Amino acid sequence: MIYFYDGTKEAFLTALVLSFRDSDPFLTSGNKQLVLGQETAFVRTDQDKAKKVEERLLSFDKDCMHDLDTILRSGDVGKDNVALAYFRLLAEKKCPVRMMLGEDAVLAADECIHRVGFEIHRFHGFVRFLGTASGALYAPISPDNDICDLLVPHFRARMPKIPFVIHDVKRKKAAVYDGENTFLAPLDEAEVVLAADETAWQRLWRKYYDSVNIPSRERLKQMRGYMPVRYWKFMPEKRPFHDAEGDEDAPVLPS
Amino acid sequence: MIDERTLTILTESAKYDVSCSSSGSDRRNEGGIGNGYASGCCHSFTPDGRCISLLKILLSNDCIYNCKYCLNRRDNDLPRATATADDICGLVMDFYKRNYIEGLFLSSAVHISPNHTMEQLCLVVKKLREEYGFHGYIHVKGIPRADMEIVNRTALFADRMSFNIELPSESSLKLLAPQKDKESLLLPMAKLQREKAVFRAEKRKGHFLPAGQTTQMIVGASPEKDGSILRLSQGLYRKNGLKRVYYSSYVPVLHDALLPEVAGGALREHRLYQADWLLRFYGFDAEELLPPDEDLSLEFDPKCAWALSHMEHFPVEVNRAPLEMLLRVPGIGARSAQRICAARRYTRLTFEHLKKMRVVLKRAKHFITASGKFYGAAENAIRGLLSAQEAHANATQLDLFSMNETALSALTGEL
Ligand code: SF4
Repeated sequence: MIYFYDGTKEAFLTALVLSFRDSDPFLTSGNKQLVLGQETAFVRTDQDKAKKVEERLLSFDKDCMHDLDTILRSGDVGKDNVALAYFRLLAEKKCPVRMMLGEDAVLAADECIHRVGFEIHRFHGFVRFLGTASGALYAPISPDNDICDLLVPHFRARMPKIPFVIHDVKRKKAAVYDGENTFLAPLDEAEVVLAADETAWQRLWRKYYDSVNIPSRERLKQMRGYMPVRYWKFMPEKRPFHDAEGDEDAPVLPS
Repeated sequence: MIDERTLTILTESAKYDVSCSSSGSDRRNEGGIGNGYASGCCHSFTPDGRCISLLKILLSNDCIYNCKYCLNRRDNDLPRATATADDICGLVMDFYKRNYIEGLFLSSAVHISPNHTMEQLCLVVKKLREEYGFHGYIHVKGIPRADMEIVNRTALFADRMSFNIELPSESSLKLLAPQKDKESLLLPMAKLQREKAVFRAEKRKGHFLPAGQTTQMIVGASPEKDGSILRLSQGLYRKNGLKRVYYSSYVPVLHDALLPEVAGGALREHRLYQADWLLRFYGFDAEELLPPDEDLSLEFDPKCAWALSHMEHFPVEVNRAPLEMLLRVPGIGARSAQRICAARRYTRLTFEHLKKMRVVLKRAKHFITASGKFYGAAENAIRGLLSAQEAHANATQLDLFSMNETALSALTGEL
């Protein structure tokens, strides 16, 4: 049977209970595309059921909800089934399964969690803030996984006095730190007034980037391996060079 | 704001320094901006495939010394510039805020005198910490022949310091860097190490090089064999407590009768890094890794070369072999070895399991059994097979470092 759910933790836990006796469940939060001849069910969240099963799962493995949160943030289309198989195994074994690397379900979950964690680590480096007129910092990003709020603690710890916004332009939401509190908000398009010196700093940074490179040792493949092209969009140093008419000074703008 | 010309000159002059790591410091934010990131963090990558973590810059490239291999040598006709402390501090603060960098790597040519230069470096980092309130990562280069008093004072503000050994032997130094000698480079390292121990023992307040010391040597500008280089590194790790030795294959930027005209091989540099990694994390000893002719094999990576000449230890059974032995299997890296140890507690591992766990078996299969099964080749055929694999890899991919797998292995140590 195909189970559709809304991608939330509670709905997932409900689906886990509903599909438990199903020998071949398929769970998806993606497009509701009906496949001919397949039975389908739409999972309606049952808070009570979800709470009960959560407690039960936590009694098997106190860290498992963290795994669930991470897997559900994945950008992989198959993540729902990865989580389902992992939690079915946990329910069956009744003890932490994390290191049972002989099990397919664990390997798939492990890889999924690893990828999300790796992207968070990468973005600690790849986020680029723009200075705005108000003194706050603004960073547009478009990561593979749903991680913008998970990036906040890192920057908050190092710049506790500067308010900042990390805007996931793909998912149209933003993690905001106002200098005291952190919150997540839907955000379509941001209206940003850049600081007067923003362009100059970006120029200096591009100059730096160009002069620190050793052209005789070009290894483009390696560069792209470490810093995939899909991440370049908001990096001033990777802005393509402009021709004669191009405005070389145009800063990277939120788009 | 620093002007573009000064920035360009001082960056161009600093870029051949290879160390860019920002790891090892857990400095906290105490108001102001910044903190340390113990695992290190890459912020960008340049087209040469190197990571940008720190703002790597010279305070001045106006040198009174005349090291033959160096662009900034006195006799070289080159635009010169010297930045002010505020130039550097401002640059660090605004780059850091925008998350371009993880901190500062400040170095300098010997400007006016060793003491003057060291004093200026100290001034920059003191200012950055105290006036600008910067708590991010700072690596400062030690200037040979500067007074230890100034060096120690600088260490109170820096996370890491490095005196570069430059060349792996005294005789090469004499020839190519006549104003430097072993004493002026090794002694300060030992003294700093002692000072750090005292600082800790007396539980003084503040920091003293929380990320320790590193050094760097140029490979291929002088005739030393890998043997002398690796033994030197091993000594530095074990006796001087260094955190890291960097190897920089020589890039001919200048012409001099005493210098080779060709660049040192990237492959040799790579092999040295692999061997260095084995010394630090895999429990190898330099003597184990060095063949009788004292040069690391270019044909095989050092772990593979070691295994091939010690076939009496293999194959090992993955379900029983201790971690230290798994780490010595060619193709099995630290992560794989640990995962094998964890997984075998729950189940008897087969090759099927290993494959699914993404243990790379291309080389490893010749050196292991899984549940008693062996899928490798006959012992006398292994060498040829592995050699063909390497040669094939090198032929299809002339530039070794373009191979993502290899490049990544340098980072993760999956040899
Ligand atoms: S002292 Fe340093 S900057 Fe000066 S010539 Fe020697 S290596 Fe170059």
